[in-house]
Amino acid sequence: MISLLHTPDGVRDLYGEELNQKISISSLILNTISRYGYERIDTPAFEYFDVFSKDIGTIPSKDLYKFFDKEGNTLVLRPDFTPSVARCAAKYFSDSDLPLRFSYTGNTFINTNELQGKLKETTQIGFELINDSSIYADAEALSIVIESLLKVGITEFQVSIGESNYFKGLCEEANLDEETEMTLRDFITSKNYYAAREFLKKSNIDAAFLDRLEAISKVFLPEEEMINLAKDATNERSKNAIERLIAIKNLLAKKGYDRYISFDLTMLSKYHYYTGIIFTAYTYGIGNAIAKGGRYDNLIEKFGKQAPSVGCVFMIDEIQTAVRRQGIEIRDSKTEKTVIIYTAENYEKAVEEADARRNKGENAELVFAHEENLDAFSGKEKELGNLVIVLK
Amino acid sequence: MDANTENQKYLVFALCKGRLAFKTLELLESIGITCEEMKDKDTRKLVFVNEEHKLKFFLAKGPDVPTYVEAGAADIGVVGSDIILEENRRVYEVLDLGYGKCRMCVCGPKSAEELLKHRERIRVATKYPAIAKDYFFNQKNQTVDIIKLNGSVELGPIVGLSDVIVDIVETGGTLRENGLDVLEEICPLSARVIVNQVSMKMQNERIYDIIKKLQESLANE
Repeated sequence: MISLLHTPDGVRDLYGEELNQKISISSLILNTISRYGYERIDTPAFEYFDVFSKDIGTIPSKDLYKFFDKEGNTLVLRPDFTPSVARCAAKYFSDSDLPLRFSYTGNTFINTNELQGKLKETTQIGFELINDSSIYADAEALSIVIESLLKVGITEFQVSIGESNYFKGLCEEANLDEETEMTLRDFITSKNYYAAREFLKKSNIDAAFLDRLEAISKVFLPEEEMINLAKDATNERSKNAIERLIAIKNLLAKKGYDRYISFDLTMLSKYHYYTGIIFTAYTYGIGNAIAKGGRYDNLIEKFGKQAPSVGCVFMIDEIQTAVRRQGIEIRDSKTEKTVIIYTAENYEKAVEEADARRNKGENAELVFAHEENLDAFSGKEKELGNLVIVLK
Repeated sequence: MDANTENQKYLVFALCKGRLAFKTLELLESIGITCEEMKDKDTRKLVFVNEEHKLKFFLAKGPDVPTYVEAGAADIGVVGSDIILEENRRVYEVLDLGYGKCRMCVCGPKSAEELLKHRERIRVATKYPAIAKDYFFNQKNQTVDIIKLNGSVELGPIVGLSDVIVDIVETGGTLRENGLDVLEEICPLSARVIVNQVSMKMQNERIYDIIKKLQESLANE
């Protein structure tokens, strides 16, 4: 039956060289994260709906995969790790005030639109630094992002950094209610300033601050301009936001990483749980972000523990696409192996030969063949492996 | 090197086939961006190149333009705002070009006006199901059955397929000729420039330079 061969839209099989490459990329990133002292954490693939609900601020609930358990509770396949890790931290480390460092890897599920060539199951690797509200924590998160991408071999990339308090400060100053702020966010996120103006005009709100927002949304802000903006800021919250960004940049400069970052004060995230810096990493050859993250100081509180945190996630599928399109060679992405073809008579010799190689740390595959079928393997060296030994 | 690594050097434009493309090429020409290859009416080429400025152009069907731009297959797209609203893709919408002006409207026979006042369930034929649904559900709180058509939507109420239609109205000529009227206006429409979100970061200077020049050229018109 042919129809048994297909996978549903948005999921896929991975094998061979492509999978090897993905594993290599993943381990390069995971190793970089663990060098900073992050410990692995595993959370379940599905959780109660409330963990990913609107209050928590992940993706819209219509995009979640939902199903029921036997008692009728609504369950959700995780669309994102951060709420799960936050729940975990609140549950098991509620009395700890020390910084907690967690990293994770796994697949996430988002029920995206059909026929747009988008994956519904994607692999994410990420880390969260909990119980640290300092600029040093923000700088560490950004350092890990930059270092991981460099380790993978991507050299031309850019990490764009914003601060959600800048926009929030402006909204407070303009006295916007929550709903207006949300709608405005959507326009600003898509850089649609004329629609934003129309919208504010309809609600009889003075749109003057949009001019400033639009002006700074167009270019990467050099540091001098940021300093000027901080001076001109008409409210404390926005001013502090800019000053924090400059301070973080100065920390990164000590490692020479400041050249990978640029400021974008109008950047907002669709994940509403971010409360401080927000950042997104981009590279050539791929139309989506390859890593994103930010500070979420109030998220874990929703699970019962007050804990300022910063975190980041790498989109492994996107990174792999970028690596392929940019023609980057990943070390160790090809697994070498020896294929030993044997017949019943020389089974013992074959095992001996294979074990000798395995003990040396090499990969060896044993392939059984009937004497009369041995010829069938000739000429298939490429398909079989790097080195083929036929025992006759 | 595959198509995508090569594109790093080029800025790729996706233009909406038809009148909008000609108008856009005129505008681009006014800021010194030309593509001679494209003026040849008999050409069967799909992608046109301007080697001097490292630009590439291609024509696509309207609803596909946001798809190309979202995926990064094109850096910049020019397309009507009706399509942007309908497709709802993750792209930056950076400039209103001001031409291609028309309106998205609810149309039907005068007698259907009453049907729009009481939140009763009606049938709506349209090429724009997402826009129609958003308007009736979220703005009017009216439950409607949406019937997707692919062209000549005006037929809907005439042959009794639907009570009203949601469609673009430019002059209203076709409507009047067929005994239909504009019953409600949903929103004004015009041509827009959209930009891929990553291109905006990676090719920031080039893209903003073009946008700025386009803005100036429009202001001088």
